[in-house]
Amino acid sequence: MAVLTVKNLAKTFNVGTAKASRVLDDISFDVRGGTFVSIVGPSGCGKSTLLNIISGVEEHTSGDISLTSDSGGPARMGYVFQDPRLLPWRSVMKNMMYVQNDRSEPTVARCRKYLDMVGLTKNADFFPGQLSGGMQQRVGIARAFAVEPDLLLMDEPFSHLDAITARGLRAQLQDIWAQSKKTVVFVTHDVVEAVELSDRIIVLQPGGRIYEDITIDLPRPRRQTDPTVATLQAEVLGRLEAMKALSRTASEVAA
Amino acid sequence: MSTTMAPVKARRSTTEKEQETPAWQKRLTSDRAARIAALLSFFLFWVLISWLFLRVPGPIEVVQRLVDEFSRGEVFGNFGKTLYRFGVGVALATVVGIAIGVVMGLSQLGRAFFESPVLVGLSIPAIIWSFLTVMWFGFGDLSPIVTTFLTSVPFVIVNVAQGVRGVSRDLRDMSTTYNVPLSRRIKDLVLPAVTGYVAAGVRFAIIIGWNGVLLAEWFGGGGGVGYRARWWYDANRFGGFAAWVVLFVGFIVLLDRFVLDRMIQRAFRWRDASA
Ligand SMILES: Nc1ncnc2c1ncn2[C@@H]1O[C@H](COP(=O)(O)OP(=O)(O)O)[C@@H](O)[C@H]1O
Ligand SMILES: [Mg+2]
Repeated sequence: MAVLTVKNLAKTFNVGTAKASRVLDDISFDVRGGTFVSIVGPSGCGKSTLLNIISGVEEHTSGDISLTSDSGGPARMGYVFQDPRLLPWRSVMKNMMYVQNDRSEPTVARCRKYLDMVGLTKNADFFPGQLSGGMQQRVGIARAFAVEPDLLLMDEPFSHLDAITARGLRAQLQDIWAQSKKTVVFVTHDVVEAVELSDRIIVLQPGGRIYEDITIDLPRPRRQTDPTVATLQAEVLGRLEAMKALSRTASEVAA
Repeated sequence: MSTTMAPVKARRSTTEKEQETPAWQKRLTSDRAARIAALLSFFLFWVLISWLFLRVPGPIEVVQRLVDEFSRGEVFGNFGKTLYRFGVGVALATVVGIAIGVVMGLSQLGRAFFESPVLVGLSIPAIIWSFLTVMWFGFGDLSPIVTTFLTSVPFVIVNVAQGVRGVSRDLRDMSTTYNVPLSRRIKDLVLPAVTGYVAAGVRFAIIIGWNGVLLAEWFGGGGGVGYRARWWYDANRFGGFAAWVVLFVGFIVLLDRFVLDRMIQRAFRWRDASA
């Protein structure tokens, strides 16, 4: 069943003013429950805007979005941002509890479980400022999983980290995802990362349209060292380069 | 003939500078020395003025009057009264000020509603409120309490509202995506973020508020520090008047130094832990 359905979605910033700019033009896709979908596209093509619209932080100009939860109630969302976005004056554990619906014993246990999964059990009482950037980002990931979301949104969660830390966290994310099978929409500008993590890649092109929808049919867990992964990464990268070249000539023709 | 030149050092390290500075110089240029110098020059200025003008009581006279008041048993009763009125007024101003400040900071509508009344409140001096409250409530505790409250609450509101508007957009968006209920957002996000502004607001409330309490007591006549100061003033004995002023100012300074400062440091523990 589709957890998320997006239909003819469009977004124009500053409607009706001289600064009006259309960021998303006509976006339609749906995401089935339990799948990991990546949205890939060059910087500035509207990926974050799309996620913010799905999460409800940003309003859309036209089109439809529908979210379904398994329980039939309002869909629960988790969001991992580019930066950790933790309350600096609350401990790690209190940050986890801040976004929970209730303070019950099972909720606390669930928070502990996910903190354990990202390897931060010992740091539960630390303030965010006492952790490294990578550790803070792991808290952000644990927090998102711990709400048991119907839909988990991630916006370039590893792009601010150094390469080695990012690789470690990607592996960790694969493990956690394999255990929880959450529905994930993952935004990145990094094709290599997308191929490693996703069941499906939606390629956005500048101007806010979907360029391509690619199914990634590779066994898990996927490791960078696996040649079949590397081959597919190279192939998808090639297609994206072709798209960039195409949109470049298009804008030259228009100019 | 050969001359050898000693190499010229471009810059000295901090360790070298540290070692070369004599101890007396370090002590003289410390923050503490500056504070003591300020106190000392104020004191000298006071002594000088009291010599030049007969009607200005000198330090010795003030201390004598203070001792007299203590021995008469006037101090604790009156001081306690004032403290009670002042404390209730400032506490009310803090609670109400935070509440209205949060509303003004969070809601456009709230801001539109409260902006003008707060502006008017800011511009009305304590002396006007003290006249009005004595007219309204007579000579009891209520006039000084209400005067303290009314003179100080706008300062708390303005500070808190400004702080709330500055709360990180990113953290607010995060709370929205996770559907965090409003009460928890205020408790865990807004209030900790505005601690510094609340502290600044309460400081203002205390400094402005004590004008209010003393003036209301001055005109009210229901006892207290202001009442006692006026009593000496009317008796043309400025030493007694000054003694009470010194007592209360000293109390406010100590309160700020040892209670407020400590509380602010406690609220910012997370910052020290992170450093
Ligand atoms: N609040 C806003 N007002 C006006 N323009 C915006 C706003 N937010 C984003 N944009 C514009 O929308 C475009 C897409 O931004 P974004 O979604 O952040 O891109 P991406 O995440 O793909 O890098 C950019 O050109 C950006 O300048
Ligand atoms: Mg982005």
